[in-house]
Amino acid sequence: MLELEEMALVERPEKKKPLGPLFWLCVGWIALNIFGAIFANVLPLQNPLYQNYSAINVGPSLHHIFGTDDIGRDIFSRIVYGSRVSIAVGFGSMVIGFGIGAPLGMLAAYRRGRFDTILTTFMYILLAFPAIIATIAVLSFWTPRSVFKIILVIGLASVPLVYRVIRTATLSVATKDYVIAAKVQGAKDRRILMKELLPNIAPIGISFLLIGIATVIALEGTLAFLGLSVTTPTPSWGNMINESRTVLQQNPWLAIFPSLALCLFLLSLNFIGDRLRSHFDVTEVKL
Amino acid sequence: MTDVSEKLLIVEDLSTTFATAGGPLPAVANISFDLGRNETIGIVGESGSGKTVLSRTIMGLQPRTNVSVTGSVLLDGNEMVGASEDFKRRLWGTEVAMVFQDPMTSLNPVMRIGKQIDEALRVRLGMSKQDAKARAIELLELVGIPSPVQRYKAYPGQLSGGMRQRVVIAIALACSPKLLMADEPTTGLDVTIQAQILNLLDELKERLHMSVVLVTHDLGVVATRTSRIVVMYAGRIVEIGATRDVFANHRMPYTRALLESSPKVSNASHTRLITIPGRPPNLLKLTQGCSFAPRCSYATDKCHQERPELQAADQPGHSFACWNPLPTTRGDSAT
Repeated sequence: MLELEEMALVERPEKKKPLGPLFWLCVGWIALNIFGAIFANVLPLQNPLYQNYSAINVGPSLHHIFGTDDIGRDIFSRIVYGSRVSIAVGFGSMVIGFGIGAPLGMLAAYRRGRFDTILTTFMYILLAFPAIIATIAVLSFWTPRSVFKIILVIGLASVPLVYRVIRTATLSVATKDYVIAAKVQGAKDRRILMKELLPNIAPIGISFLLIGIATVIALEGTLAFLGLSVTTPTPSWGNMINESRTVLQQNPWLAIFPSLALCLFLLSLNFIGDRLRSHFDVTEVKL
Repeated sequence: MTDVSEKLLIVEDLSTTFATAGGPLPAVANISFDLGRNETIGIVGESGSGKTVLSRTIMGLQPRTNVSVTGSVLLDGNEMVGASEDFKRRLWGTEVAMVFQDPMTSLNPVMRIGKQIDEALRVRLGMSKQDAKARAIELLELVGIPSPVQRYKAYPGQLSGGMRQRVVIAIALACSPKLLMADEPTTGLDVTIQAQILNLLDELKERLHMSVVLVTHDLGVVATRTSRIVVMYAGRIVEIGATRDVFANHRMPYTRALLESSPKVSNASHTRLITIPGRPPNLLKLTQGCSFAPRCSYATDKCHQERPELQAADQPGHSFACWNPLPTTRGDSAT
């Protein structure tokens, strides 16, 4: 009897499903994008600002693999250079948003009391005000617009959203018995926050982070579409899509390639996040 | 009365009142009892009688706001009521530890169980990594977990409920506490596992010279494993005494009702269990009289108007709160 039980208990190896080729494909794609963004000026690319008037609105060819835009600039090179802005804005503003919103949210949910009430009320007031309008208002007047300023504004605008998600996630964990159990074992607050709460809200945090990056890259596109992102002629995926709008009839490639770049980047990011979450999930019993 | 140093835990006139939107809610009112070293006391009562609030108040675990605690809890000479978090934190784990009700939620699901045990050892007792690991494996063995070396690396999700509760007990025992608070430690478990866990607690109590406060609604659980019983109703003690006296010579009708509503092996099959009519009172709308009066078949006008205080019964240490106590001659075989 005991032998049987022991067998069942002992021989339950933590065999993990491999992450799969699609996962690595996505990782490769993100790595390639980041590599391109970092080394854009070292790579043998054409000048993204050079206007070749003898090749306007040409389709994909050997010389211009993604074609050229309405003033003869190489689309491929502009997409690679454009990824710099998009990726920087995506990651940068989420670093700010999570850097401020996540610790505050965790602390408020763990401490409760007046600190929580005041902070949460304040954040909800901010949330009630549409972030996009605030962002547009600030960016309209704060010229010349640089990548840094855009990161800062979007990052700060995302703080209440991150705060809300992290606070709610922490609340549901903080009332669990194992947190009280840790407390009555004499664990200090910082230990409870870092060892008990953080690992348990991490899956939610990471999912939200990845969705956040995707949303912010798209938001940068929206701002660019409104002409409120980096000042032209610096390319970004968003402002390329914006510029393509006027010549959509003559040259659809100009809209398709940056959209494709944006789309694939976000898809890969989300897929990686999802696979990682289920891969490292130890709460599901694997039999 | 006995010397202070002989008693591990002395609870005096302890009340816990929550401030709610509907007014003050006296979850625990005027509780007094004590607990000797290496003794097990049982706290019984139905759901909502204040058992859990009492055990948490003794631990010094209250919400940060909207609660007032009066009275005194002396734990090995340390006053817990009104103590600072820092002070209590020093006592938690080493003086008093707690076993929780539901082993499914009292372990951190994303931390290996070994780590959950040896964290306390390393942080509280300052053990080295190797020592803590060795001790954690010892503890796992102590609580009867097969192949503890392998289990050390398991996540809670890989263990069954009974195994998890053993781990919870191992964590509670890590810093060798003098008092173990077990708040319904077997509620979430199968009946067969329940007996195992209770026997384990009993055995560990003897081996490690601990005192145990066993909170439960199941009289069968406390019958053989405690030396004394506290019966609670609506936040108050209605009867307290040696287990033998409470079972054989209970004077309070509520105690009898509780006893009658638990199944007995000697009952013929298909015997309908006796239930207590009505529900526990709303603590926001307590009347002047005895809280049990509305459900009590012996209640008189006096019961509805005046609250009975605890009075001594014939046996030493046995007291009850009732105006119309059951006669003593009944079931007197134990004395």
